[in-house]
Amino acid sequence: MLRQESSGPAPSLRDLAEALVAYARKCGADEADVTVIDGYEFNVDVRRGRIETLVEAGSRSAGVRVIKDKKTAYTSSSDLDMGTLRRLVRNAVRRAGLGNPDEFAGLPPLAEELVDAAALDLCDPAVAGLDSKTKIALATETERAALRDKRITNSYGATFASNESRSVLVQSNGFAGEYEQTYCGLGIGLQAGGTDDRVEDSWSSSKRHFRELEPPEEVARKAVERTVRQLRPRKIRTQNVPVIFEPTQTSWLLGFLFACVSGTSVYQKATFLEGRLGQRIGNERITVVDDALRPGALGSHPFDSDGLPCRRTVVVEKGVLRSYLCNYYAARKLGLRSTGSADGNGVGPSNFYLEPGPGAMSSKDIIAGTKKGLLLIRTLGHGLNSVTGDISRGAFGLWIEDGEIAYPVSEITISGNLGRILESIEAVGTDLEFLSPVTGPTIKVAEMTVAGE
Amino acid sequence: MLRVKPPGAFAWGGRLCHDGNALTQSPLPYVDHFGLSAADLRSILQIALSTGGDFAEIYMEHWLYHFINMEEDIIKETAESISLGLGIRVIRGDRTGYGYTNDLSMDKIRKTALTAAAIAGGKAAHSLPPPLRGRAREKSVYAVRRPAHDAPLREKIKIVRAANEAARGYDPRIVRVKVHYADSLRHICIANSEGLLARDSSPIVKLACVAISEKDGKREVGYWGGGGKVGLEQFRDVLTPREIGVEAAREAVTLLEAVDAPAGEMPIVLAPGHSGVLIHEAVGHLLEADFSRKRTSVFWNKMGKRIGSELVTIYDDPTIPSFRGSYNIDGEGTPPRKTLLLEKGVVRGLLQDRLSARLMGGAGLTGHGRRQDYGHWPIPRMANTYIAAGEDAPEDILRSVRKGFYVASLSGGQVEDSGKFTFSVSLGYLIEGGKLTAPVKQATLIGTSSGTLKKIDRVGSDLAFGLQTGTCSKDGQDVPVTDGCPTLRIEKMTVGGRTC
Repeated sequence: MLRQESSGPAPSLRDLAEALVAYARKCGADEADVTVIDGYEFNVDVRRGRIETLVEAGSRSAGVRVIKDKKTAYTSSSDLDMGTLRRLVRNAVRRAGLGNPDEFAGLPPLAEELVDAAALDLCDPAVAGLDSKTKIALATETERAALRDKRITNSYGATFASNESRSVLVQSNGFAGEYEQTYCGLGIGLQAGGTDDRVEDSWSSSKRHFRELEPPEEVARKAVERTVRQLRPRKIRTQNVPVIFEPTQTSWLLGFLFACVSGTSVYQKATFLEGRLGQRIGNERITVVDDALRPGALGSHPFDSDGLPCRRTVVVEKGVLRSYLCNYYAARKLGLRSTGSADGNGVGPSNFYLEPGPGAMSSKDIIAGTKKGLLLIRTLGHGLNSVTGDISRGAFGLWIEDGEIAYPVSEITISGNLGRILESIEAVGTDLEFLSPVTGPTIKVAEMTVAGE
Repeated sequence: MLRVKPPGAFAWGGRLCHDGNALTQSPLPYVDHFGLSAADLRSILQIALSTGGDFAEIYMEHWLYHFINMEEDIIKETAESISLGLGIRVIRGDRTGYGYTNDLSMDKIRKTALTAAAIAGGKAAHSLPPPLRGRAREKSVYAVRRPAHDAPLREKIKIVRAANEAARGYDPRIVRVKVHYADSLRHICIANSEGLLARDSSPIVKLACVAISEKDGKREVGYWGGGGKVGLEQFRDVLTPREIGVEAAREAVTLLEAVDAPAGEMPIVLAPGHSGVLIHEAVGHLLEADFSRKRTSVFWNKMGKRIGSELVTIYDDPTIPSFRGSYNIDGEGTPPRKTLLLEKGVVRGLLQDRLSARLMGGAGLTGHGRRQDYGHWPIPRMANTYIAAGEDAPEDILRSVRKGFYVASLSGGQVEDSGKFTFSVSLGYLIEGGKLTAPVKQATLIGTSSGTLKKIDRVGSDLAFGLQTGTCSKDGQDVPVTDGCPTLRIEKMTVGGRTC
């Protein structure tokens, strides 16, 4: 043994969390909670038929929150030596004394209802059961399938990744919960064209369950198709046109909407949607849901980092803003109820998506119904401002003429304002898939500025 | 990708560049938290090479952080964190095996070494690795007089409050202020199968302020910050908390009067300092050696060839004292050196790490193999990247543009290997008749690296560096960086403004 052990054999995660909560109380904290995460990670990158990197590792960490006299302090460590952890907890209680009292600080009362973690189907034993050979073979086969297409001129490599973790939360209010989850992913990045006119794109599939993962041929086919369709782009002149967002693009737009309905942004006045609860913020096509309870979905979980049960929340209903997403702190600040959205010290989405309504149509029909416009397929850069709702990003797309895809365009930007976009979505697609926690179908925005020459 | 300001206008992070003058250099005492003797390390390296690897390395890290968050005029949160762990890398040819653990028992470390070794999958070709030898360091690039890590919390809270008050008091239209303070001290020890034993302790501090202004129901946000590989004296001698608060508030208030950005191609003038983001994206990433070795970079075959205007000379220098992007050794123990990337428009160098240098036929190491933490292996990264000063007077450059767009401050940028890049302007100005007129709201600019580099037609004499708060992301790894440039004119670029 290399380091001084100050407390005998390693306790179980649950015991460790309980011991730290008790110790924090003993040190003078009025309230405390402890999160412990134990994770295992596997990652293999295969490029040009050879393994480039292979990572395998396990890691643990603990995070502690203490509240004393309505003052909050945090501490965390990946060194789980009990002596180290106790010192950090003592420091945290002492440090809390130097903060300012905050009448809204504190843990929530113990929730009466619990979500059954097993019913959420977050864990697939098949992921843990995969051997390294199988995982390497999946990545190798994905790349081989993609490179069979002669238009592909280079590869960033294919990756298979898997993850297993256990999260434990123990709070001084009596809450104790834990759950296990798994994740696996298969993806590839490609280039097409010569050195000076190359284009690139990627595709990946991420699931909690191995059986739901797209097979190598499917991942390769999508990555190839997404890459080669950008070959020989044109520049276009600056104009205002309808912009159709592919589902991958609707995802980032919804990620931006999430940032604008997060209770933290609202009390900080950092969102243009502050003060709009109950008001119309978009047209009747817009219904947005945050649902932590979808079985097997990537963003599902039974309780949040406040120990409150997760749930399904309708955020926007037919254009009307029905709910902000709040942790316990933001909810108290705003005089609302927590939506079970606590994520670390902040607020996070679970499965946050735009729900196609009765008028939804196929993406094909949306394109066919567009005389002239841009099908947005990729974006580059930041350019999102939640305070104003302004959007300005580098873009890649396919130009639409008379309802058909005419040619790829690049070196352009798109700009607009989220508030105006929500009011002017002309069509919503039926192609909603839960490929990522924040997701949506194809949408058509009536008008945005596309800047080019 | 460079984030000067993180996604979500009110999240934490930062951009800014103030030219921090070199302070007295005082190396921090190295503290060993790992309890592994040289003999232990050598035996672990031997296990790592037991399946035929031709290189093995142990990276140990003990990282201590403090944070303070102030919002709504109260100190809302403080935090202290420890990250302790060890990563083992084994290379055979072009394959890398990597394992890491934060359980530093000898048994767990041995297992981690075997995990990393599995990549090689052969028989040991080596006998015992050579004895480990530490090297004496001549000098440190960290400039610390008042180490932040040991300073009392009260002293740091005072700094945070000063920034908050300055922003609050700047203008009645400031409605919300948030201040974030962070310091950390990172001890690393690296041993490899070539006999290297290297240690370093690097400090970093950061103070950032976000201010929100409001007028007639309209809101805007401003950001400013500073810090570096320095101590708390930075906030007394170089950039005061008051200046940080005032600048954040000034930007937020200025934006209240700002107009929408124009859309389309036009001449661009970049302010000195901040605009180094352009070089970071348009050149720096594309000259990281891994992208050249894999031939994914548009510049992979351009060594010795002209890719830009004669006016453009670019360096990356990890040895600038006190800078956020500086370090004494990189993530694989190599002392870094100032590296010439572009000389008068011609490609002269790449940013190298060990793996790329080996695979590219023994190219010299430049000390740019950086890693986020022990959970990641090193890859070629930028440190402090800048365009060297030219000869034009900045005011002449501005005067030369009849109608165009002036980039005053930036929030970040992104590039792909094909050379298409963007950068996001958080505050700009219209140029009319050679003068700055109306302030302009956020806009993204897009271009291609080769196109834009050729269109840089004026370079000012006023080299400056951006905010000491920038973070660069690549392959899921974040590292601190700084960028710099003098006033520049670009003949034309596409501005992503609005006409609807």
